[in-house]
Amino acid sequence: MSDNIEKYIRRKVHKGSSSKIAQKFVDAGLEKIRSCINCGTCTGSCPAGRRTAYRTRSAIRKALTGDESVLQDIDIWMCSTCYYCYERCPRDIPVTDMIIKLRNIAVEEGYILDSHFGLANDIFYATGHGVPANAENQKQWRDLRESYGLPPLPPTVHSYPEAVEECQLLMKEVGFRDLLDNAAKLKAQRKAEAEKNAKEEAEEEKK
Amino acid sequence: MTETEKEIIVTGNEKPRIGVFVCHCGVNIAGVIPIEDLVEYAKTLPDVVFATEYKFMCSDVGQTLIKEKIQEQNLNRVIVAACSPRMHEPTFRLVLKEAGLNQFLFEMANIREHSSWVHMKDPEGAYEIAKDHIRLAVNKARELVPLEVQTVEVDPSCLIIGGGIAGMNAALDLATEGYKVYLVEKTPTIGGHMAQLDKTFPTMDCSACILTPRMVDVARNENIELLTYSEVTDVTGYIGNFEVTILKKPHYVDQEKCTGCGVCIDHCPVSVGNEFDLGLATRKAIYIPFPQAVPGQYTIDMDSCIRCGICASPDVCEPEAIVYDDEPEEIKVKVGTIIVATGWDLYDPTELKQYGYGRYPNVITGLQMERLLSSFGPLLGKPVRPSDLKEPHSIAFLQCVGSRNFREGGNKYCSRVCCMYATKQARQYKEKHPDAEIYIFYMDIRAFGKGYEEFYESAGRNYGINYVRGRIAEVREGEDHKIIIRSEDTLLQQPIELEVDMFVLSCGLEPRADADKITSLLRIQRSGDGFFMEAHPKLRPVDTLTEGIFVAGVAQGPKDIPDAVAQAKGAASSAAALMAKGEVEVEPFFAVVSPERCIGCGMCVENCAYGAVELVEDRRFGTIASINQALCKGCGACAGNCRCSAINIKGFTAEQIFEMITGRF
Repeated sequence: MSDNIEKYIRRKVHKGSSSKIAQKFVDAGLEKIRSCINCGTCTGSCPAGRRTAYRTRSAIRKALTGDESVLQDIDIWMCSTCYYCYERCPRDIPVTDMIIKLRNIAVEEGYILDSHFGLANDIFYATGHGVPANAENQKQWRDLRESYGLPPLPPTVHSYPEAVEECQLLMKEVGFRDLLDNAAKLKAQRKAEAEKNAKEEAEEEKK
Repeated sequence: MTETEKEIIVTGNEKPRIGVFVCHCGVNIAGVIPIEDLVEYAKTLPDVVFATEYKFMCSDVGQTLIKEKIQEQNLNRVIVAACSPRMHEPTFRLVLKEAGLNQFLFEMANIREHSSWVHMKDPEGAYEIAKDHIRLAVNKARELVPLEVQTVEVDPSCLIIGGGIAGMNAALDLATEGYKVYLVEKTPTIGGHMAQLDKTFPTMDCSACILTPRMVDVARNENIELLTYSEVTDVTGYIGNFEVTILKKPHYVDQEKCTGCGVCIDHCPVSVGNEFDLGLATRKAIYIPFPQAVPGQYTIDMDSCIRCGICASPDVCEPEAIVYDDEPEEIKVKVGTIIVATGWDLYDPTELKQYGYGRYPNVITGLQMERLLSSFGPLLGKPVRPSDLKEPHSIAFLQCVGSRNFREGGNKYCSRVCCMYATKQARQYKEKHPDAEIYIFYMDIRAFGKGYEEFYESAGRNYGINYVRGRIAEVREGEDHKIIIRSEDTLLQQPIELEVDMFVLSCGLEPRADADKITSLLRIQRSGDGFFMEAHPKLRPVDTLTEGIFVAGVAQGPKDIPDAVAQAKGAASSAAALMAKGEVEVEPFFAVVSPERCIGCGMCVENCAYGAVELVEDRRFGTIASINQALCKGCGACAGNCRCSAINIKGFTAEQIFEMITGRF
């Protein structure tokens, strides 16, 4: 109980409303984010928000006011990009594009989920395929293809394994590899820092 | 200020002596452009004998300065480099007049709107452009010649288009002042939308009780010629002398003979939806829109009439007023002024599919709710759900339907009345059903008028109306035709789902669907929102850019009743000001023909939108174009198209324009 009170008292007042994130939106030509009137049509329309804690308007609001905690929020990854919010926004804001941009910024800052990193690094980069079909346990995909009269493997890197390197070269050229490396680096740094802080706190409490 | 006795005679042959007066406009210009440098630059231009600057050239001190320098320096052309000529050209022309100089020997260089305001982030560029403007003005000034002002008579009569609360008030004011008024209304009755309302916010006085006496006053006033069920089909002429053609649609009932007894409606076998009740009730093919309609004579709607002949039988219509072969009638009137008070249409929410209007029976518009609440409406003031005619226990209102919507098909502006009418309707329902649950979904409550905020506060405190901050995302129909609402309560940051018996869409106001017709008939402008544009948003709010034509009420932009009435009275006053004087000065910027150049091809006759050009036989030059100066608006369509360069617009002659352009390099 006492711990909770401590936490509450320590909570900081959010300072200022100048937002680095909002500026990134503006730079990307998405300055429409600034005409949001917080009507809630996006949140009200959101099928993902009815099942999870994702609140579209709140995420946009945080981005606009410079509350960078939105980048670490797992919530922004709950959007299914169904485009209901985009279709209904009375200010004609491309809301779904905003959420996608927010995710881009999050990854640039190293806030990437392990599962997403794994998919990008271990599968997409390593095999050149988003959804590989050539592994032992993926026979059902090959059977499905054959049942439609298709060859078991598609005419991609699966049929031309020598092209994997080319795919990887492409990903390097467009900066995808750097993005992943940078995200991994930032994430590791943050993790190390958090561990260090936790250790220090624990020691202090011991004293 | 008195007019000087000394008059400066300018013939155009003497050497130009140009004075340039550069205005700081506070920091509006001086904050961006170095005024001193501009003055020095002006002094270097040929024929400029004097240049100076002042903080506010339009002020009394600035005007006196110009006047003194005209006399002291013997100036015969004056340039003021300041703002747009729209506002202050008349101011400075008067200064010239007072200094004894012909007022048209004046030119304005707009270095504010065209330079310092638009290029405030590029001061160096702004300075270059300001220099260009001054040089162009000097080049043109050199070619200016004195012109004489024309005066035209103003007929002491006014055409008012639209018989709603704005048109009626303007008509009554002008008629009381003794002017002849033609009040044209396209429906069979005056009263407009206000007649459809039940009570009015924030005083809760009954709309009909305050409106109907005014309607009767209009009908009784001997200076008002009431032309209901009529439309303006043509307007020609100019300020003070408009020729108006009005089409009186056939009533198929002799309006002189009809006593308004109403026996015919008991016998008419055809029932159709009543426009006045927005389809919530029916009327017969022979009808008056509502019981208190003025005039109270009947009209047959020939689109629905089956010509059975029952109403025409003497047993039914004793005065024998039915005329099946009634014909439309065209009348022509001459008026001095015109007031446009055509009102508004309600936004049609059918396109907003997520709100289910037109699909779910229990979704209605705010105006339909008004008819349901009305004591002389189809339900005598006891609203029920359209699906089962039961009194709803819970009602939700959604604000800003079609308004503040930047999507395609939406209106960007705020309609200004919906917050208050929804609050009023909610209160009215709660007065009679204290147990009812009322929700108003809003983005912002705009309670800006006198007594409005107090009215809004009372709705929460005394009536327990729930205000929920959030725009409804979508609705669907539940069991028993209930409406299930999905929204976010933005203050709780939670999605909510709510089931109500009835759902009211507080739709906004829109320009009339036929506003285009009025625009082209009267040659007036519309602003970006589609409403008619005023000449100046602050200082000329009831004038249009066409002289002699005024605008009042919602035709100019969304308004509540007090504002519409205030504007109507303003428009009446502005029209009366013109008519009281009996004559008006018009600018002498009309087209003139050089007969020796004209070959009489007639291109200009075809190009003139105002019918001001005709071909005449001249004894010396044969067939040539001739211009009616009273009709000419100086638009230049004829001059621009003249293959012989035989037509010039005074004040904008080809020589003057060429001098402006070529003098640049």
